[in-house]
Amino acid sequence: MQNDLSHYKEILVKGIWRENPVAYQVLGICSALAVTVKMSTALVMSIALTLVAGFSGLIISSLRHLIPSNIRIIVELTVIASLVIITDQILQAYLYDISKQLSIFVGLIITNCIILGRAEAFALANNPADSFVDGIANGLGYSMILVAVAFLRELLGSGQFFGFSVIPQFVYDMGFQDMGIMVLAPGAFFVIGLLVWLKNSLPGISHEKK
Amino acid sequence: MSDKKKSNRSFKDSRVYVVFFALTVALVFSVLITSAATMLKPLHQQNRILDKKTNLLEAANLLPENEKMTPEKIQAIYDTHIREVHADPRGQILRSATGDSLQLYLIHTDQQVQGYIVPISTRGLWGKIHGYLAFEADGETVAGFSVYSHSETPGLGGEIESQWFQDNFKGKKILNAHNQLVSVSIAKGRTENLPESLQDHYVDGISGATLTGRYLSEGLEETLMQYEPVSIIFRQKKGTQTQLETLLDE
Repeated sequence: MQNDLSHYKEILVKGIWRENPVAYQVLGICSALAVTVKMSTALVMSIALTLVAGFSGLIISSLRHLIPSNIRIIVELTVIASLVIITDQILQAYLYDISKQLSIFVGLIITNCIILGRAEAFALANNPADSFVDGIANGLGYSMILVAVAFLRELLGSGQFFGFSVIPQFVYDMGFQDMGIMVLAPGAFFVIGLLVWLKNSLPGISHEKK
Repeated sequence: MSDKKKSNRSFKDSRVYVVFFALTVALVFSVLITSAATMLKPLHQQNRILDKKTNLLEAANLLPENEKMTPEKIQAIYDTHIREVHADPRGQILRSATGDSLQLYLIHTDQQVQGYIVPISTRGLWGKIHGYLAFEADGETVAGFSVYSHSETPGLGGEIESQWFQDNFKGKKILNAHNQLVSVSIAKGRTENLPESLQDHYVDGISGATLTGRYLSEGLEETLMQYEPVSIIFRQKKGTQTQLETLLDE
């Protein structure tokens, strides 16, 4: 049991930190640019992607002995697309405003390389439990970057946190202005770039010094 | 053992099995998606109706700012201030629809008509744009504009649903100095660069979304031409307060 736990921990650490999908594998950048203007959209996107990654790993891994190899990718995409459509339907029913803001990006989870990448690289070769943990771990790794980027962009770009103004008026009086570039896509590029640099230069945990 | 494995593999790749497997997967997942969609349909419809009402209120500037709106509050404001009516081709306001009548909404406070809202439905770059254009009771001043559904490019044409773009429309006139209908159009760039005589009829454009602006301008003009008889009725009443019930009974 102890062994099992440390085994899962290993998968988690690898997905969330050591081989972080955005910062190390540089996957899923497109949506990381698009939905990180505000914390609320980034958080919902993160949750949606983490769940889709986890369950697609679980389902594909359960079917891995049955899937004919020549239609492998089609089957994986069918599983992923179905999960995404169901997620989208649920968002439209319970979080209509946010789902309107996320617009096509929920649908684009289907094409997010993280999900298909984990399905191909991990789920097809490992048991369902491991694959589920791996999917969740990669989802969380993606979420971590997304939320960090969204936090900085919302704070610097609109002076808000979850839609509440947090920068006190006297700071504005002293001449501070919201940084317009943070609301636009280039702002996300800079923030992601800085985060990747930060992560990879932290001593001891850099992937280069494994 | 290895023999068995080998036969197993060839069976897995046989054409019959591939087709069978593909069909099964397709069937299972279509059932899943269909059941999710069917179960959530009532909620979706509810959300969509509420969203339309919210947008109607937004166009009419009846939504309080900086206040969290619950569905009940929106419904309450809608019920006290908005009345769905129809208009025949001569511009007469009718209580219910007839064959060729146009749909519109009256804005009223304490039974006094404050203005009217025209539904906009036009072609966009990638799909239909649906929204509302509200007018004040004088029949020529735009009170507000809102969009509740579109499929324009996020970040470019998608900006039509942003606050700054929609606030642009407030106070614009659809009549020129000679009382002719000129509609409101989306400028290419900022309106400051236009001659002064045109500034009242143009709103700031969105950079990178020239086509969305052009289609929306065309759509607005077309819709306003259709609703011109209604606007004329309102213009004739200029300056006088109109009771909701008298307008409906005329």
